[in-house]
Amino acid sequence: MEIKKTAIAGTLESSDIQLMISQADSGITIDLQSDVKKVFGDQIEAVITTTLNNMGVTAAKVKAVDKGALDCVIKARTIAAVQRAAETTDKPAWEVL
Amino acid sequence: MPIEQAVQTLNLNDPAVFKEWQEFLESLGISNFQANELQQIDTTLGMYNERGSLVATGSVAGNVLKYVGVCNKFSTQGSHFNSIVSALMNLLAQRGVFHLFVFTKVKYAASFQHVGFHELARTDLGVILETGDAGVGDYVRRVAQAAADRHLTSVSKVGAIVMNANPFTLGHRYLVEQAARENELVYVFVVNDDVSLFTTAERLALVKAGTTDLTNVVVVSGDQYMVSYVTFPAYFLPTQDDAIRYQTTLDARLFRDQIAAALHITTRYLGSEPFSRTTGIYNQVLQTELPPAVTVKVIDRQTSGDNVITATQVRRALAADDLASVCDWVPATTYQFMQQNLTQLQARIQEGMNINGN
Repeated sequence: MEIKKTAIAGTLESSDIQLMISQADSGITIDLQSDVKKVFGDQIEAVITTTLNNMGVTAAKVKAVDKGALDCVIKARTIAAVQRAAETTDKPAWEVL
Repeated sequence: MPIEQAVQTLNLNDPAVFKEWQEFLESLGISNFQANELQQIDTTLGMYNERGSLVATGSVAGNVLKYVGVCNKFSTQGSHFNSIVSALMNLLAQRGVFHLFVFTKVKYAASFQHVGFHELARTDLGVILETGDAGVGDYVRRVAQAAADRHLTSVSKVGAIVMNANPFTLGHRYLVEQAARENELVYVFVVNDDVSLFTTAERLALVKAGTTDLTNVVVVSGDQYMVSYVTFPAYFLPTQDDAIRYQTTLDARLFRDQIAAALHITTRYLGSEPFSRTTGIYNQVLQTELPPAVTVKVIDRQTSGDNVITATQVRRALAADDLASVCDWVPATTYQFMQQNLTQLQARIQEGMNINGN
């Protein structure tokens, strides 16, 4: 799936994550900010990367501000942001859920 | 434990809402409610507690967050702040704005950094931060690429000039020539805000057209990082002079720490400023703030006969339909453009475009 424009999903509330996805030439870069980055940073980035891979996103710039989100939340926010960024919100990607 | 309240839009045109909003912000130490600041606000959001009093608010003006105030008396530290900021970001996202700025008091800087904002410059009085899908790093890379496209790499003496060029005159040209002679590479940053008689695109094109023969000069847009609405806001400071000094200090430090450092700029050139008070203060502040990292060189204004060349005079000549009188003051490229677009430019002046500012 191709990222066509910048999109945002999620909030900065406790237990949520705010995810902004924008275009990149190649590869996936993640700029993660989290109070629990030391312990869970790799895990959070892995969830985002896996979700992107499952959706067929190969090039994207991700800015994530985590407020202690669980993996299922991170996944849901990533999917929402990608669908908005790829302008495919009318065709939900059920299979990746 | 108070019930969580949803964020809602505040109608500041309602006098009762406005009064509560202003009193709430004043209780938090925000005191500038001048009409010119309030006019810029596009939307204001707020949160009320269960007793119906305001506990948090924030506004957007274009891509700048303003009047952010939060009372944490009865809530978990930071929760109202995070709710308001994420509501403002989502609001801007709906409008297609993903790159935003805030300038705020020093004590709130850490709160913004905590939600992903990146600090651009700070003084004792305030901090300017940005967040989103683009940043100053991307901008600097684009500028460096523009120099690389002209094969101007691995140079050691780099000069810079920031100009509005409304329009580009021989005075500007003289400044650029001086810098081009003394440096291996000169960046000319053209102010990006579209509030001048000549549009940003026109000003940029005329500077480029007027300097094509200078092979070591690279003309780029100053984007939002130089003398823009973002770096020059008039916010919570009581007096006008204080405000100018404060804003220009932020602008100078942003240039020194984010732009000059990354692009290896060693000298910034300024035209001497005999007329404009604001620009005069700006020049003073630049001379205090930039050295020793960046040398400041003030070049005396170019004169034509007894007159000092200024873009203001050129605009007045346009208004008076007396273009011939400033023929010797502008490069042929600028003169041609003014001749070809005379009616359109004069129409803009008639529609009320101020020609006596910067």
